[in-house]
Amino acid sequence: MHEVFEHTADLGLRVEAASLPALLAEAAQGFFEIIAGDLAQIRPQVSRSFAIAGEDPTYLLLDWLGELHAAFEIDRLLFREFDVAVHDRGLTATARGERYNPAVHTLAHEIKAITLHELDVRELPGGWQATLIVDI
Amino acid sequence: MPVQASDTMPAGDRSFTGPLERVDDCCYRIPKSYKPGMLVDGLIFADERLVSHLRSDRAPEQVANVAFLPGIQSASLAMPDIHWGYGFCIGGVCATDPAVGGVVSPGGVGYDINCGVRLVRTNLELADVQPILVQLVNQMIRDIPVGVGQGGNHIFSPAELRVLMQEGVGYLRGRGFATPDDIACTEAEGCIAEARPELVSDRALARGNDQCGTVGAGNHFIEVQVVDRVEDPVAAARFGLHAGQICVLIHSGSRGLGYQVCDDALKALRDAPAKYGIALPDRQLVCAPVESPEGRHYLGAMRAAANYAFCNRQLLMWQVREVFARVFAKPWETLGMELVYDVAHNIAKIEEHDVAGSRKPVCVHRKGATRAFPAGHHDVPLRYRDIGQPVIIPGDMGRASWVLLGGPRALERSFGTTCHGAGRCLSRTAATKAAKGRNIRDELSKSGVVARSRSREGLAEEQPLAYKDVDIVVDVVHRAGLSTKVARLRPLGVIKG
Repeated sequence: MHEVFEHTADLGLRVEAASLPALLAEAAQGFFEIIAGDLAQIRPQVSRSFAIAGEDPTYLLLDWLGELHAAFEIDRLLFREFDVAVHDRGLTATARGERYNPAVHTLAHEIKAITLHELDVRELPGGWQATLIVDI
Repeated sequence: MPVQASDTMPAGDRSFTGPLERVDDCCYRIPKSYKPGMLVDGLIFADERLVSHLRSDRAPEQVANVAFLPGIQSASLAMPDIHWGYGFCIGGVCATDPAVGGVVSPGGVGYDINCGVRLVRTNLELADVQPILVQLVNQMIRDIPVGVGQGGNHIFSPAELRVLMQEGVGYLRGRGFATPDDIACTEAEGCIAEARPELVSDRALARGNDQCGTVGAGNHFIEVQVVDRVEDPVAAARFGLHAGQICVLIHSGSRGLGYQVCDDALKALRDAPAKYGIALPDRQLVCAPVESPEGRHYLGAMRAAANYAFCNRQLLMWQVREVFARVFAKPWETLGMELVYDVAHNIAKIEEHDVAGSRKPVCVHRKGATRAFPAGHHDVPLRYRDIGQPVIIPGDMGRASWVLLGGPRALERSFGTTCHGAGRCLSRTAATKAAKGRNIRDELSKSGVVARSRSREGLAEEQPLAYKDVDIVVDVVHRAGLSTKVARLRPLGVIKG
């Protein structure tokens, strides 16, 4: 589950999932929904693999979304599906989507960055929760 | 599941309930006793008309948090366009003393390093533009890159970008995209010294290679305006402004390159607070002493990104000139399209200021705040030095923007700083909700503003009611002596992301 919450100048994203890998995948979906609005317009035609080092779940989330953001900003890749595995020293993941095509895709927001303000990842009884604010 | 907008957070979760003590009719104090760890008071420039806005989000809490930063001088300040940001509030000003371990914090500049505005005047009158306004705005959105994912008309190789970031707008003059007058009328003459482009990452270069000369999205825009009212005829004449005159306002920053420089710095500084024994109430305030390897590294890269931003606005202005030349079938020089001034509102600079009776260099962070130096200051361009620096304040796309003059009390009260805009008062989700069932473009059209946006969200989230009344904000800084009113401008046409 993820939802956008209010922030005066920017947008907040609250995410809940049963496990940390599921949380990271769900957060990635929410992130691309902020950029693209409806994920249904993105076809899973290309895939890209990611490997990110880190043990702190909060920074793991930050760096994971940062890599996805760079893939969009530099290579114009929009993703909609994510397989994430978390191990002792970081994560490995595969993201599927397609290259942005202005004739096909409608975009909603330009995300400048994922901020550290109120960034929080925590394990709760029965699952994981993340809160983050993106700079618009 | 789809993204859902939630505007039902409990009020206590987002409002400020701490102390706001009235200092005078345009300033409120958060005493340093509010939170253990505050080194100085917080001071917010606002009047009774803005107090309810002040309490409506967490921005005052952020003013208090900034007061924790080592080496902070005088007070943690905020301008009347204050609203909730990340780490620092938007509208925040903080000066630190490097000689006593004062820090530099990338959060005090923001991701959009040297986001700023420039105002271009023309010799066109309202009657010249009104009949072809729709054609003009349509041509602008066709020719000038705006919106998410829109690459620019100018591509720079990594080697070219490094020279551009070293030389600033002077580099573009060499490429035929700037004049000596453009450079003279840009803050720091479009080139902040001691930039270190070699410290800008390859990823930042990759994000910036096709974005110099692009507007972007969010609150960035290009607006055709008419001078609605002149309040200070002497200053207005010096700035080449008169009632009924057409101007163009450009608002953008350092685009993906600058965002990445900030991101890289925040990553590099993750361990700095522990290394330097700095306790922070918010992770986004991460910082390092100005006089440390980490602090110098950030400042060098930030200055490089700031120079990129000056170049971005210069290339945008050049494209605006080309559009006007095409539409009016005259060279832009004949149309009198000269730069009034370009000013940064997200930046950190080492400046000399008088603090408690002694003059010293301090690192002034302006996060959504504009430098406003008064008459006589050596950093004001020669052509304006005897009256003061022009200050450009964008409002919203339905009401007004302002040209101000660096104020007589800015140096003593706010490290030579004033507001940067109207300031948001509605969140993006609330503005979107308020736009449901309405056609913002049509509403603006009925009020005489031709608006074109690449996205539906662009107009809904940035609709006029999402912002405070800029006239009130400007009135506060005018009465506080931070900057004084010169001219009010009214929007006619706008392009947005």
